[in-house]
Amino acid sequence: MMPPNFEQRRPAITPQLAVRVAVLGGIALVAFSIVFFRLWFLQVLTGEEYVSQARENRVRKVRIEAPRGDIVDRNERPLVQTREAPVVQIVPSALPEAAREAAAKYSMARSKAERKRLEAEDLLEDFDQQHRPTARRASPRKESAGERRDRKLEQRAVRQRREKLKKAAVQAQPVAIPPVPSDQKLRSLYSRLSKAIGLPVTRIHERVTEGIADAPYANVTLKTDISREQYNFLYERREQFPGVEPTSLYLRDYPHETIAAHLFGTIGEISPEEQKLERYRDVAAGTRVGKDGIEESYDDYLRGTPGYDKVVIDAFGDRDERRRVTRREPRQGNRLRLTLDLELEKTANDAIQRAISAAAVNGAKAGAYVAMNPENGEVYALGSYPSFDANLFAKPLSESTYRALTSKANGEPLLNRAISATYSSGSTFKPITALAALEEGIIEPGTVINDTGAFRLGNQTRYNAKKARFGPVALSSAMKVSSDVFFYQLGAWANDDGAIIQQWARQLGLGRTTGIDLPGEFPGLIPDRRWRDDGYRKYRACAKKAGAAIGSTEALYACGGIERPWSVGDNVSLAIGQGDVQTTPLQMAVAYAAIGNGGRVVLPHLGMKVENGAGQIVEELPDRSRRNVAFADEHRSVILDGLRRAAMEPGGTSAHIFGAFAAEGLTIYGKTGTVETGPGRPDQAWYAAYVPHSTRPMVVVVTVESGGFGAETAAPVACSMVAKWFRKSQQLCRAPVVTG
Amino acid sequence: MVPVDTPTPPGAAIQPLNEPPPELSAREWHLRIDPLLVIATVGLVCCSLAALFVSTQDDVPGQPHYYVVRQGIYGVVGVCLMYGVSRIDYSRLRQFTYPLYGVMLSSIALVLVLGSVARGSRRWIELPFFNFQPSELGKLLLVLSLAGFMVNRMRTFDRQTTARAVLIGLVPVLLVLAQPDLGTSLVYVVGIAAILFVAGAPVRHFAVLGALAAVAASLAIVVPPMVGVTVFHSYQLQRLTSFIQPSSDPSDAGYQQAQSKIAIGSGEKTGRGVEDSTQVGLEFLPEHHTDFIFAVVGETYGFAGCALVLSLYALLIWRGLHILTIAKNLYGALIAGGITVMLLFQIFVNIGMTVGIMPITGIPAPLLSYGGSSMLVTFLSVGLLQSVHAQARETVARKGRAPLF
Repeated sequence: MMPPNFEQRRPAITPQLAVRVAVLGGIALVAFSIVFFRLWFLQVLTGEEYVSQARENRVRKVRIEAPRGDIVDRNERPLVQTREAPVVQIVPSALPEAAREAAAKYSMARSKAERKRLEAEDLLEDFDQQHRPTARRASPRKESAGERRDRKLEQRAVRQRREKLKKAAVQAQPVAIPPVPSDQKLRSLYSRLSKAIGLPVTRIHERVTEGIADAPYANVTLKTDISREQYNFLYERREQFPGVEPTSLYLRDYPHETIAAHLFGTIGEISPEEQKLERYRDVAAGTRVGKDGIEESYDDYLRGTPGYDKVVIDAFGDRDERRRVTRREPRQGNRLRLTLDLELEKTANDAIQRAISAAAVNGAKAGAYVAMNPENGEVYALGSYPSFDANLFAKPLSESTYRALTSKANGEPLLNRAISATYSSGSTFKPITALAALEEGIIEPGTVINDTGAFRLGNQTRYNAKKARFGPVALSSAMKVSSDVFFYQLGAWANDDGAIIQQWARQLGLGRTTGIDLPGEFPGLIPDRRWRDDGYRKYRACAKKAGAAIGSTEALYACGGIERPWSVGDNVSLAIGQGDVQTTPLQMAVAYAAIGNGGRVVLPHLGMKVENGAGQIVEELPDRSRRNVAFADEHRSVILDGLRRAAMEPGGTSAHIFGAFAAEGLTIYGKTGTVETGPGRPDQAWYAAYVPHSTRPMVVVVTVESGGFGAETAAPVACSMVAKWFRKSQQLCRAPVVTG
Repeated sequence: MVPVDTPTPPGAAIQPLNEPPPELSAREWHLRIDPLLVIATVGLVCCSLAALFVSTQDDVPGQPHYYVVRQGIYGVVGVCLMYGVSRIDYSRLRQFTYPLYGVMLSSIALVLVLGSVARGSRRWIELPFFNFQPSELGKLLLVLSLAGFMVNRMRTFDRQTTARAVLIGLVPVLLVLAQPDLGTSLVYVVGIAAILFVAGAPVRHFAVLGALAAVAASLAIVVPPMVGVTVFHSYQLQRLTSFIQPSSDPSDAGYQQAQSKIAIGSGEKTGRGVEDSTQVGLEFLPEHHTDFIFAVVGETYGFAGCALVLSLYALLIWRGLHILTIAKNLYGALIAGGITVMLLFQIFVNIGMTVGIMPITGIPAPLLSYGGSSMLVTFLSVGLLQSVHAQARETVARKGRAPLF
């Protein structure tokens, strides 16, 4: 027998086992393949992606805020500067939940109160509209004693109702800050912090609550300008003060305090809504941007480029100090040079303050002024009185201070009356009526109208101011003496031809925003047949629905104040700038500039140049005009002649103020305005002037609420401004009129 | 390696009975260990030391080589153990089947009583030199005792056999699960299945067992919370589910895996080197000396390093399966099968976890992760493989010398 060979003598491996081992081998092969290809994918195919992820993992950019650029006037005198100050901030998200809950509660209560206030304000406005002189009807027949008593009673009820409404409209019901939450951790934090920075616990709680309610996304600045010791104390004990961040902040500094305070606006951390806007595309969260005024309009230039520290951190978020860091220094924003003239602004501010205190007997409290280059729209001065210290907004502001700054009793210092308050413009509107009448062929430059001192319209009779009678006057003379009757007649005639005056007024820039580089501008209103009839139709439908009689007080509350359709009387009122017309001082300046410069409607602007740190010009901000209005040169000269005679010729409405400028080689084209604001209420004073000059032309508009006659209150302010601008003596404005 | 005999010439006289049989040479005996297996194990230990060297410098203050030195000592001891075990005839262990099973159960149970608590589970018994983890040794003991049991029952392989084997295996699985250590108990389950598979259990048994396991698992997840008993801790389930959406939560379980993937991916082809490995150096990578050590290799040495480690593992598994096929008896085959499949499972789950295709289960990478118990037990297991190999070779050699009819 053959011995079995070696291979056959191996221990038998059954076919079954062989299959099973093959299966196991297959599983192993698949497992290794999966891992192998996964590694190939991770490391070779997509490796670079993970390299960058690993880099991002360890490098954090710590943002360094850039100081904002300064703002200077046209002669490079500083208006707004930046300084660095140590501050204490609270990081809301790091506080115990209780603090945020309290803030949310407070915020809800506050918005409820504000909603109520707005409702009351609307009601009050409608209420007042009803009790305007135009809404009152003369009753020709005699009333009996009983009727009179009823009427008196009704009037008293109306007065009481008005008082109540006014109270509710002026100020929202104050909302109490909820008490400091009983959270033990929060209380202990506040009390320790209170000792550290010397601010009472309630005050800390108040600021934190208000701050979170105002901007839940932003850090709350508790106190600015803390001392170095306080800063160091907090900085070294950051672990013991969770949510408290001692840091340094660039604060805005306004060396001239109240001067031009309305123009600059404030700065604050960018809100989530703003971040979605295209203009803030590259702005990181937490950056402070302009919130209003020039800070907002020119934010791009002023903001600067934030720097950063690139720091290496480990998985626990700690900085690895051994590793190299790179740093990009922040770059301060560019310097913005305004067209504003600080000296003129100061003069205007002083002058209007003087005028208002002189007219205080009338109840004058507030006013506004604009001075502008009529050729290119450069604003030389723009302001509102009363003003406020702009520095207040550079630091944490308490609710009570803010309330004081917006209260009607204080004259709403925050309101920029030059662009955000609308008034009837009174007789300063007359040149616009005249231009419309001339251009539309209603009158010729020589057309004479006999001013008998009264103008009869239906069953109403309207009179000149001070019941004056001027006899037969042509346009130029009518402007000189400010004959209302002449313009009433123009208004009545113009009404037959449709909305002529309205068209010209709109062409010249009224009834719409001027486009100045400041946010918050109001458009105003040029009333016409369509506006009033539409409004009346709505009013009637609404009154019917509410079941109230037309003209009744209930209908006024429910449906607003447009309780009659358009009539010729409305056009007559518009012709002298009374009635429903609403304009801003800046709009009037633009209209006067257009008449003066021959038809160019300029775009008023404050920004002049953008300069870098070394004073080199980065960008010249262009002068632009919005459109050209074509009118005959002879019409323009006849209107200007009227304005010149009003300001310079003896007998002109403001000649006693401006007469002396003739000797100085200046021609003033100016018009007074006096607006009736309601029975028993003092008139509003206006003055508008155009002063041509080869290098420094100027248009000035001044208005004073409750200022009385334009010639008495507004014209002196305008005069001071003109004298200052042309470097003449202020004494000119007070010079006795030289009568020939 | 296969010794070749000179075949007996035809017609030559059969060896006379009066002549003494050829001498057994003990000298060749100890050379019959598998050198490829040795290369794989020692190579993996070297990789482990290299990875620990770069990743653990700052872990123990003042002792930059704390982990490297200790792992080195475990490696040396392990190699000695491996050699020692490879000299034993593993077949003798069969008579200790039940004592071994008893030792396993009692040591795991002891942990539940005495063990020190780490991160919510009891896994270790603190010994003077290192923390002994009985569930690691249990892997080997389970394989030995279950293999012994199977061999005893081999004559009548039926449903009973499978059922009993599963029951025997289930006791340690449940004990380990109670520690709780989900990962290791899964390794046990895989080991039991592997032994049954190699022993030749019919496929339908596996189907039934699989179905039962699925039902049991779903009951274990759904029912206890209703009754108010905790079987699975929420973190265990969270780990398992976070794998399905690994990047959903960067703060915990998903975060670890995301960091591990970043580490491995950023290694690219040849690695970022020791200095620039920021994931490791700045401690973004969690558990970088134990569970996630493969990610250290990935970041520092790149695809090249990973491929080397994978190749060594593949070598290990290949040799294990090879030894399974040449085993001299069923007992050896079952041991080799159980050990090899367990190793394969641990390798796949651990590396799969680091590259983001497997859930985080806390299974260490054999011979790579830092840890005395795991290292020594793996060396013991490989020693047993060597023993199976040596016995097989020895038998073949003898048979070749002394052909039997």
